[in-house]
Amino acid sequence: MNLLPFVVAGLVIGSVYALSGVGVLVLYRTTGVLNFAHGAIGGLAAMLAWQFIENGLPASAAIALCVTIGAAVSLVFGVVAGPYLGRIDELRKAVATLGFSLALLGLMLYLWNDKARRLLLPTSLTGFSVGNGEAHARVNLTQLICLTLAIVVVTGAALALRYTAIGTAMRALASDRELAAVLGTSVRLVENAAWAVSGAIAGISGVLVADQTRLEPAFLTFLVIPELAAVVVGRFRSLGMTMVAGLVIGLVQSLVSSQPSITAFSTAVPFVIATVVILAGTRRRTVTIGVVRA
Amino acid sequence: MSPQSVASNRTRGLITGVALAVLAVVLVPSLPGIGAGLGLRTLTVAVIYSLAAASAGVLYGRLGLVSIMQVGLVAVGGWTTLRLHYATGLPFEVVLLLAALVTAVVGTVVSLPALRLSGLSLAITTLMIAGALEVIVRYTGFPNGGPGFVGRDATGSGSTMPRPSLGQDDQTYFRYVAVVVIVVLVLLWWLLASRPGRAWAAIRQGDAGAMASGINTTAYRVLALAVTSAVTGVAGALLAANSGVLDPVSFKAQQSVLLFATVLIAGAFSLAGAVIGGLFFYWVPQLLNTWGVDGNLVFVILGLGTVQAITTAPHGIAGQLENLSSALRSRTGRRVEES
Repeated sequence: MNLLPFVVAGLVIGSVYALSGVGVLVLYRTTGVLNFAHGAIGGLAAMLAWQFIENGLPASAAIALCVTIGAAVSLVFGVVAGPYLGRIDELRKAVATLGFSLALLGLMLYLWNDKARRLLLPTSLTGFSVGNGEAHARVNLTQLICLTLAIVVVTGAALALRYTAIGTAMRALASDRELAAVLGTSVRLVENAAWAVSGAIAGISGVLVADQTRLEPAFLTFLVIPELAAVVVGRFRSLGMTMVAGLVIGLVQSLVSSQPSITAFSTAVPFVIATVVILAGTRRRTVTIGVVRA
Repeated sequence: MSPQSVASNRTRGLITGVALAVLAVVLVPSLPGIGAGLGLRTLTVAVIYSLAAASAGVLYGRLGLVSIMQVGLVAVGGWTTLRLHYATGLPFEVVLLLAALVTAVVGTVVSLPALRLSGLSLAITTLMIAGALEVIVRYTGFPNGGPGFVGRDATGSGSTMPRPSLGQDDQTYFRYVAVVVIVVLVLLWWLLASRPGRAWAAIRQGDAGAMASGINTTAYRVLALAVTSAVTGVAGALLAANSGVLDPVSFKAQQSVLLFATVLIAGAFSLAGAVIGGLFFYWVPQLLNTWGVDGNLVFVILGLGTVQAITTAPHGIAGQLENLSSALRSRTGRRVEES
């Protein structure tokens, strides 16, 4: 059996998981909000991209518009709910975004019926072959973009967090929100920047993954599951580990789905990988005493 | 407030709740419009889902654990019920208890690893399980008397599981369901009011404090997961017996998210909230559907409601009702004193 096409597809999907995972991670480290609505924002961007292209907009303009909309939707939620979210614990912050994702999913299902659709980017039409003979696979331009973008964004994010002023501010917020505020970091501004950046990443991932897989609101919304698995494997802090985990999850999922007898269990892959990593990694549950700051 | 008065308040709440429930059980099937046909069948399912809502509510409200896989566990309970029925032919009541046991084991085993990390990990892991269960259930289908371990006859000639002998028609089955739900909720109430409930409350206040007062936090967390999973399994069994067959379409991951949202909106801190949550989850969407409101807009409303509930009204609708009733009581009480 020729597994190479599955390897290519797995790495491509994995790179989108990695890309999204980094978006989730940057927001989480800055604001403490683990965004369950990341997939839903991407889904909305993809559905809108399809709609715009259908209405005659050129693909490049449609994508640019949708990435902007992704950033805007995320930013609006951050601006409106952010002040309230700042006062509650991390678990409840995450649950609030779960509600937001439910609202976005409902909106998508309401606006677009569940008719089969296909988002085909022009870059998916050109490509080249890799391998030869029995083991060969076709790689198109979109897939190449996915891989490159993931690498560029992860290294870009790592460098920006290290060297730019806003990156430093984000790391300051991540390590201690109140202390950073006392030292004059503009908390709201930095948080809003994180919301917008992660929304833009969600938007572009949504468009790319919809082209590579299916254009379906519920499917795209729940792509947040493998993305969060990547973040869990990255221990909620490491960009590099999150990226590797995303690639591995995508690859394993794709290989599992290539075997007809176990193909249905490919959706369980994120859970299995995350659980194994949790079991292997933690020695003991640490007990901390939270200090309440009035 | 003295301990005695807390206890008596609690008991009074239980008696009021059970009395209201029994009254509803007696009256509802005789109501015109709601008490028969589709209306009653919808209400039956809503009452069943209040068990799943109660289990999510106890986990969140009493222990601060977020579990977003309850509808997936309902599917596990339903699958086990159907499978055991076709394999053994035991009476429904026995099958129901066995299904609760199996669901308890499944629910505990899958969520145990995540408990070693933060509460956030449990939320993520349970969402992953909900997503995985959705696809696995769609792949295997529900048993309908077919051959093999999966027990599914895909040709469409499968049979349905008969309802329990005590609840053959819609009205008696509604009463049957209501009695089971009341019994389970009273058992849960008893558990919450006794030693495990106090241990859970201590864990919610903080791990360090609970450990310092000699509570085995791991054991009590596992107990909570097992108990709530079993309760959800009972819901699955009742749902399977309701129509005799189950459809994988009803057990999507978004349903689990929706159920958790309704629990938050209705109030996770009381069992009354669970009953309201069940109604919100299944009855209100159907009601809006008959009024011509698109069912998907319910997602939008409940989603935004969750954001509002979690940020500003943590006690939900049940909490607001409780405030109202205590406000009324204190007002009438003052009047009695004045006169």
